[in-house]
Amino acid sequence: MRISSNTIFDNNVATLGAQQARLVQTQQQIASGRRLLTAASDPVAATRALDVTQADAINTQQTANRGTVKDPLSISESTLASVTLLLQDVRTAAVSAGNATLTNADRATIGKNLNGRLQELIGLANSTDGSGNALYAGFQSKTTPFVASTSGVVSYQGDDGQRLVQVAPGRQIAANDSGADVFMRIKDGNGTFATQALATNTGGGIIGTGSVLNPAALTGNAYSVSFAVAAGATTYSVTNTTTGLAVAGMTAQPYTSGQSISFDGLQFNMQGAPANGDSFTVKPSANQSVFKTLSDLITTLSTPLSGANVSNGLASGIVNVDNALSNVLNMRSSIGARLNEIDSLQASGDSIGVQLKQSLSALQDTDYNKAISDLNQQQTTLQAAQKSFAQVSNLSMFTYM
Amino acid sequence: MGSNIYSASLSGMNAAQFALSTTQHNIANANTPGYSRQTMLVDSRAAQATGAGFVGQGVNVTGVVRNYDQFLTTQVRQEQTQASYLSTYLTSMKQIDNMVADPAAGVSPAIQNFFNATNSLASNPESIPARQTVLSTAEATVNRFQAMDQRLTDISNSLTTQIASSVQTVNTYATQIATLNNSIKSAIATAQGQQPNDLLDQRDQLVNLLNKEIKVSTQQQTDGSMSVFVGNGQALVVGDQAMALQVVQNPADPSKVDVAYLNNGKSVTMQQSSLQGGNLGAHLTFRDQSLEPARNALGRVALGLATSINQQNQMGLDLNGVLGGNIFKDVLPRVDKGLNNAGAGVLTATISNMAAVTTSDYQLKFDGANYTMTRMADNQVTNLGTAASVMPLTQVVDGVSVVIPAGMFAGDSFLIRPVANAARDMAVLTTDPTKLATAAPMISTTATTNTGTGVITAGSVNTPLPLNANLQVPVTITFTSATSYTVTGAVPAVAGAVAYTAGTPITYNGWTATITGTPAAGDVFNVKSNTTATGDNRNALLMAALQTKNLLASSGGVGANATTNLQGAYSQFVGSIGAKTQELMVTSTAQDAMVTQTVATQQSVAGVNLDEEAANLLRYQRAYQAAAKAMQIANTMFDSLLTLGR
Repeated sequence: MRISSNTIFDNNVATLGAQQARLVQTQQQIASGRRLLTAASDPVAATRALDVTQADAINTQQTANRGTVKDPLSISESTLASVTLLLQDVRTAAVSAGNATLTNADRATIGKNLNGRLQELIGLANSTDGSGNALYAGFQSKTTPFVASTSGVVSYQGDDGQRLVQVAPGRQIAANDSGADVFMRIKDGNGTFATQALATNTGGGIIGTGSVLNPAALTGNAYSVSFAVAAGATTYSVTNTTTGLAVAGMTAQPYTSGQSISFDGLQFNMQGAPANGDSFTVKPSANQSVFKTLSDLITTLSTPLSGANVSNGLASGIVNVDNALSNVLNMRSSIGARLNEIDSLQASGDSIGVQLKQSLSALQDTDYNKAISDLNQQQTTLQAAQKSFAQVSNLSMFTYM
Repeated sequence: MGSNIYSASLSGMNAAQFALSTTQHNIANANTPGYSRQTMLVDSRAAQATGAGFVGQGVNVTGVVRNYDQFLTTQVRQEQTQASYLSTYLTSMKQIDNMVADPAAGVSPAIQNFFNATNSLASNPESIPARQTVLSTAEATVNRFQAMDQRLTDISNSLTTQIASSVQTVNTYATQIATLNNSIKSAIATAQGQQPNDLLDQRDQLVNLLNKEIKVSTQQQTDGSMSVFVGNGQALVVGDQAMALQVVQNPADPSKVDVAYLNNGKSVTMQQSSLQGGNLGAHLTFRDQSLEPARNALGRVALGLATSINQQNQMGLDLNGVLGGNIFKDVLPRVDKGLNNAGAGVLTATISNMAAVTTSDYQLKFDGANYTMTRMADNQVTNLGTAASVMPLTQVVDGVSVVIPAGMFAGDSFLIRPVANAARDMAVLTTDPTKLATAAPMISTTATTNTGTGVITAGSVNTPLPLNANLQVPVTITFTSATSYTVTGAVPAVAGAVAYTAGTPITYNGWTATITGTPAAGDVFNVKSNTTATGDNRNALLMAALQTKNLLASSGGVGANATTNLQGAYSQFVGSIGAKTQELMVTSTAQDAMVTQTVATQQSVAGVNLDEEAANLLRYQRAYQAAAKAMQIANTMFDSLLTLGR
């Protein structure tokens, strides 16, 4: 083929230009450390890089979220630890108040002490996190959740809200617990029913906490167990006060101290010698706040009482303190479980973060081994092209004329 | 006899001289663009018949021709117009590609920052600084969207200038070609049919240049002139007459320009499809097929962010206990009334379903019988009504609700661009951080006096908007037994007992909550307004979750089954720009190689090779010397003759 002299020059200019462009691109990749100089370098990788960047940003944000959950949970945990100690003290005091050698005045002193503990408990329940938000008010974070009325009744001003925080994709963890769940919603008695002696009792009958014999037979009704003493023989009768009917087969039953009384699937122990007309109630467990438990205990201690009334009053108080304690311990274990989960999520989040950064780097960062090798190759080719062109362009017949 | 030798030698010297000057001309024009190598044509003179046979009388120069191949020249033009189309398209495309190149400067990190702030707000709903951060990052996101949109607008504006200057160039070349046609015609007439090679080369070169601006086809006329056609056969140059192209306003979209062909004082808009090739074709194609879709794609991300955050904010209560409003300005589709509309009616359009919105533009048209809406990306036509329909009529197409005005005349049209202005018009409406609705409007509580184990969930607001008017009316659910309950406060009122199944969602007044466990008779659950819940983050959590929720590009365009989240939609935007740029890089490089090859082939015929010319110089010099020598010999012969008589 004929070659026009211009073709030699034009082709060379085009080739050198293309080679220089490639060389510059490789150099830019090395200088910037980015393989993807623009989206056009690798559109698929560029799109993936954007998605991975978002995944990484979300992962980082959730790490921060985990931190924000951890703080209030840790504060709550240490507050509840104080509550636990306080309730254990109260229980010890209540048990010691049962000592038969104590006088009414001694018990009143203990009651006074407990009153101080009650105020302390209210203070703990109204704890705030570092930013002045109530820990146990549900969503009503700016409200003081527990307020004592002039009559000493503590009521809950918060709500049942639990603030959830996104700690991992698809996993939300509660950063708080509502005060109702921690301090208010505590079943009295044994959790199914509660036994109680009437304050007007005069005998020495002491009623046990009781237990469920047959859950299927439970009625959920309230009962009254009344004792009659005639001619030295003590008998008892059980009436269903909800329906107003006598419980079948439970009328004028002979009583001996220490025996169990069971009906309608429930059972409890009776001790001592009730007087004629003494009566005990059995009713389904209801929620009783730890504050009421404490103030009931204080009332029991500061009221001049004797014998079985003291025992009955203290016994039901201690049962309720125990209930409150186990409720707080449940809460603490739930918080502990959440903190544990956060720690393990933290570990997996960290490793996910490393992975995401690795894949991002693989997508968009320069592979220096390849880039430098490319650069050398392109440089060699360019030099060869330049040198050969210089020689070819020198070939002209005119130089020989 | 002697005179014969003289004249034959002279003809040889003349021919050699001619040839030398042709060679010299070739050498001189070796670098002239469009120059075709010229070659001298010679013929031997008719021989003189003698008794001894025919005796040659020398040589005649019959003409000078250019080495020119019509087929190769046409082929170069075809490849060249495609090459300049691709390289101009690529240059324009690279501007957008560079704009989205830096992942740290795009919209994506701004959106991520916004959602990070929303997440922090969800963790600290009562914190004013956290709220302020959300608003600041929203503002930053808006700025980023606007900056990107502004860049696209700048490119679009410079494109309008480029189209105008390209049309100007076309017109200039057309005039020059017409002038040359005239010169060539008269030159041929003057030279009795000899071709004016250099003028022809000049004209071909002008056609080549014109061809880089706009794809042309040519036709050689018998009188030597060349007719040039553009588009679908519109004559640009005929003889010594040049027509003109014009830049006119697009009749459907006043912000756009079109190229029109001026014929007898009447301008006819040229379809973009007929202007493939050349710089002009590249400008128009880039604008219509890359720039505007890119702007729409960006706008749709803006629409998704603004609308979803607005909707979520409306579903919550702000720090003042009031139902939330819009955080971002509502996105309104851009509607352009056709320039030539006879009717005065104005069409209004609103976004009714964000998920169904596409990145296409739409044209609503009344043809006298039917109202149709055409999705311009794929020319899908939806029938919206007939001449008998009562207007104004509201219709929804792809998530856009349009109100067709009364009084449209046949031929009237409206251009609807749902998201074209979404990024540009984005704005944060509120500066009051308390206006962020982090709380849910209602709260459910389990009464502390309950004896059963039933627990009610916090509850959530039913989607989609609008909110139920009775959302915050207190509702009490009272259990009459472990398996049934009564409801007070629900609108409409619920009569009698409702059967209870644990875990089944309970929905009244526009909220849904779930009771689990075993409630006892007499247990009470309350659902009430939540006006003081400063620590409630339920709505903020939902807002933060929008980051990964699929909001856009529903399959089938019905609004359900959205297929992509905001980040995904933005990635698609970047990905499609990258893919198009890459495609153009590859095809443009290939096309350039094609041009190089075709030009080399064409140059192998028409190009000057200096070595060849050098050889020719020597050859014709020798020819001249030989002819002169022959003359000298004739002279010597004549001298010999004269000496005979001495």
